Amino acid sequence: MTAPAVETRDLRREYKGGITAVDGVSLTVDAGGVFGFLGPNGAGKSTMVRMLATLLRPTSGSALVAGHDVMTNPGAVRRRIGVALQDAAIDPYMTGRELLRLQGVLHGLRRPDGRARADDLLGRVGLEDAADRRVGTYSGGMRRRLDLALSLVHEPVVLFLDEPTTGLDPTSRIALWDEVRRLNSEHGTTIFLTTQYLEEADQLADRVAIIDGGRIVADGTPQALKAGIGEPLLTVTAGEGSSPDDVARVLARFGRIVPGSAVNGAGVRLPGGSAAMADAVRALDEAGVRFQEIDLAEPTLDDVFLKCTGRHLEGAADAAAGA
Amino acid sequence: MSVATPVMRQTAALAWRSIVTTVRLPQAWFPALFFPLMLMAIFTASFGGAPGVVPGFPPVRGFLDFAVCGAIIQGVLIAGTTAGAAFATDIENGFFDRLIASPASRIAILTGRLGASIALGLSQAVLFIGIASAFGARVQAGIGGILIILAITALFAAAVAGLGVYLALRTGSGEAVQGMFPLFFALLFFSSAFFPLETMTGWYAGVAQANPISYLVEAMRLEVIGGGTAGTALAGAGIALGLALIAVGASALALTRRLRMAA
Repeated sequence: MTAPAVETRDLRREYKGGITAVDGVSLTVDAGGVFGFLGPNGAGKSTMVRMLATLLRPTSGSALVAGHDVMTNPGAVRRRIGVALQDAAIDPYMTGRELLRLQGVLHGLRRPDGRARADDLLGRVGLEDAADRRVGTYSGGMRRRLDLALSLVHEPVVLFLDEPTTGLDPTSRIALWDEVRRLNSEHGTTIFLTTQYLEEADQLADRVAIIDGGRIVADGTPQALKAGIGEPLLTVTAGEGSSPDDVARVLARFGRIVPGSAVNGAGVRLPGGSAAMADAVRALDEAGVRFQEIDLAEPTLDDVFLKCTGRHLEGAADAAAGA
Repeated sequence: MSVATPVMRQTAALAWRSIVTTVRLPQAWFPALFFPLMLMAIFTASFGGAPGVVPGFPPVRGFLDFAVCGAIIQGVLIAGTTAGAAFATDIENGFFDRLIASPASRIAILTGRLGASIALGLSQAVLFIGIASAFGARVQAGIGGILIILAITALFAAAVAGLGVYLALRTGSGEAVQGMFPLFFALLFFSSAFFPLETMTGWYAGVAQANPISYLVEAMRLEVIGGGTAGTALAGAGIALGLALIAVGASALALTRRLRMAA
């Protein structure tokens, strides 16, 4: 059996001044998956990653990463993990290739191996053409891809990505997502990624934990978490000559009517999901009920966040609008 | 290369990175070359007639012979401040985190930076001696004298870089390290780096006499202007070595302290 990628027990970190950034987190992340650590700014995500990456000493509790204790055996952890930190430093005056070769030496690779590895990684993240240019001339997306490559020189078993796409444009974000997926599926690298974007957690992670105020408030597959909220909501507004009651009467055959969910119309929880939507629309048509707008709203991780914390995740509205 | 241990290879790689980033950034190397050369030129033009006329001035062929070692030490001080500030920037922007999240040797973090500063200091000394020679200065003690000058330069470069790294580790701020620069400069001017102790008066002379930099520069200078003995060379090298040991020791402790905050 492979050891879990991450296993923490009651992990805590207090900063001077009594601020508790991580407040008793017990978490087991199995090897081989993509784990999404979702939470707003200041929730404790980065503190958690810094502790797991041996950069910060926990105040109490324990943490095993790739089977090794971060406190008693940090060296063993460091040999097995890759870390791409938020706002990570990349020397603007060095070239991508130089930085990758340097990173290889730091990880104890022999010169020829380090060189070959650098070339290989440059190809993998699509930076061959920019390899000999100074990093100062790179775009934000190119820097993140280089950063990703830098964290991979020693083929880590567990890769920590702290907000890998914050501040990236949508195209660069999607390119990075593809790279992360490929890394996981082709190389079997376990990915531990923090994000404040619902969509990112939803798209990439096969398991999500939501952290707020230093505590885990929800943990499961995105599907299970969303399913916990309820079925998707179908809302239909009445057209000319039809009343909201006419609409409601037909929709009631497909699920539970949610009062007040639509202005001049009706809303219903659809256990059948989008497949049942077509049936509902056909039924409305057959019953001669005219309608204007139809909307099927799937539960989102923001609904999960809202349910667990009573607040929306920052930027959730923007992300939804952009998606 | 094949016999090199990982620590040696990591030291070399990190030193190389420090040198490359210095050389590619004009702000990083220009002041360390320009200001000492400018002062050397100005002093030589202003006080060129002083030797042999001003009482207490040692007998020299020309003022340039007298001034070149002060310029080397000044260059090393400026370069050391820049090195400390660069190290602090590495802490601020996360390069340091990347280093300590890797299994790289902790010693190499320090020796890499010190090695780079020593290499840069030596190149600077060779360049300054070369320029002074082109304008007529001569190292009286010959090749042996140049080697003594280079040895003291290397030790002093390690001392200043060690101090810079210490300040960087304690403050974690490039601006704070850069802010110490006027203090270093005062230390230099309150010494016999540019003028002989014999021409100084009052409390200023007292301060310069107590300043270790005075003895260090004088040991180097005697190799240029003549009159250096094994005793003066050893005294200068000894003082530089002492300063280097203190500064490097302090920076090693500061590094251990900072690493203890990590797991």
